[in-house]
Amino acid sequence: MEKLKLNKGIYKETAIKQAMEDFSELAEFEVKKDSKFFIVNLNNVKSEYKASLKDEFANYVLGLMS
Amino acid sequence: MSEGFDFKINKEELEFKINTKIYSLKAIYQTAYLFLDKVYLLLDGDPKKEVIVVMKLKPEIKQDLKILAGEFHNELFNQLLREKILETNAKIREYIVSKALYNAVPSEVDELLKEVEEEDWQEDPLGIAKPWEETKKKSSAKGGSASGGKTAKKRKNGKTKAK
Repeated sequence: MEKLKLNKGIYKETAIKQAMEDFSELAEFEVKKDSKFFIVNLNNVKSEYKASLKDEFANYVLGLMS
Repeated sequence: MSEGFDFKINKEELEFKINTKIYSLKAIYQTAYLFLDKVYLLLDGDPKKEVIVVMKLKPEIKQDLKILAGEFHNELFNQLLREKILETNAKIREYIVSKALYNAVPSEVDELLKEVEEEDWQEDPLGIAKPWEETKKKSSAKGGSASGGKTAKKRKNGKTKAK
């Protein structure tokens, strides 16, 4: 399992959820919150995307923000 | 190096801070968007004070990360300038758009003028354009014969009764 922490003051929850939906065929996503971060857990990532999926996901969320 | 362009290099990642009192969060998002095809970006920090940018090269990109970080800063300036121009030109833009929309819709005055132009001014359905003498003559001729006829009958009747 991989974990991505996205700052709540910078990233929007709607963008994260949209990205989770768009990436749903590549892995299983689950989002949790703590006081400062959205914590996105990536499970069962397809083997060919394992190296870059977390980073690509973060980029994609950022792309949705602008 | 100046204070505003300090960065840390940690393995494959480059990290630097952006003061959000100078650069808006919107400008940072716009700048980040332009670099998404070259680097992996992660933003952190306190958006009210400073945003921490963590930058990592994509495997297919063969560029110097430090140069890209410098370009990122330059692009921040561009975005800042764009924001300022948008701000200062906002009223002019609004005016131009409203003027264009106003001119596209025909005004009531224009429509009335068009109606008047289309009307045939020589038509006189109520007969108000005829000279007064003409109408008076006609009405007196008609009215005179009718009333004259009645009075003549009255007189005639009166005379016969008196006889």
